[in-house]
Amino acid sequence: MSEDNEDGFGFAPEHDAPIPYMTRIRDYYQALGYGAPYRWAHYAAVPFAPLKKPLAESRIGLITTAAPYQPDKGDQGPGAAYNGAAKFYSVYSGETDRDHDLRISHIGYDRTHTTAEDNNTWFPLPALRLLAETGRIGEVAPRFHGAPTNRSHRATLHRDCPELLRRVREDKVDAVLLVAV
Amino acid sequence: VSLAARHLEENGIPTVIMGCAKDIVEYVGVPRFLFSDFPLGNPAGKPHDPASQARTLQLALLVLQAAPAPRTTVQSPLRWSSDPAWKLDFSNIARLSPEEIARRRAEFDRQKEIAKTIRKKPQAAE
Repeated sequence: MSEDNEDGFGFAPEHDAPIPYMTRIRDYYQALGYGAPYRWAHYAAVPFAPLKKPLAESRIGLITTAAPYQPDKGDQGPGAAYNGAAKFYSVYSGETDRDHDLRISHIGYDRTHTTAEDNNTWFPLPALRLLAETGRIGEVAPRFHGAPTNRSHRATLHRDCPELLRRVREDKVDAVLLVAV
Repeated sequence: VSLAARHLEENGIPTVIMGCAKDIVEYVGVPRFLFSDFPLGNPAGKPHDPASQARTLQLALLVLQAAPAPRTTVQSPLRWSSDPAWKLDFSNIARLSPEEIARRRAEFDRQKEIAKTIRKKPQAAE
């Protein structure tokens, strides 16, 4: 034990740090009886493409893991329990000049401390359009794209990623904002 | 989306990720990441708080614009709550009773069956 009385140093509580999700999730599923731990994708090398022009002249794309609301697929919130039926399994796209009702009931978000009431917290399309109006960015790409979350790494890497690349190239984006739920 | 960001960058398209799971996104290894220390589900700001949403998006664009190298993470200065106790709850097996663990195990099996009828088994966020 330290003899220092830490009162007065202004330290934050020990648990006031980013949640160690990998450890939590691994321990959680192990306790639930699912033996083989999930293996997260992991790379030592990371690619980096520099921005080619100022944001004020750039066309910005948007990729989301949220799903379009499907009335026939059960409760999708706000506040819905985890809903595996609302998942999607291939890349989808939507026009960015209108609003969309996207939900996250198919994702393991923090249901204790948030309720998914306000889709601006995971789909910032209206905010992005506003930045185009004010000139902060050049423009919003004509489409946004939905990325499936629950495939095998093989399906993500060999099918979804190339498909997302194909679509954002079609959109002639200069950069892409990806929002992970 | 971490894998998608990597794939786009490998093909010359700059990206920035907005997310709340710092360890997972950094473990994958991504070029630019705006981390919000919020409960999972709020990568683009706080609910019903347009100012926090606008700030979060602005920060993401600054990261896109100014990151000097890959694996640039910026943590948003915004706080979810002045009380950090929420961080103790998510999937924290140490906080669950044996009865609650049994209940969740049954629910997990049920969801897995549902997912299986469509496709594959569920997976963690991000």
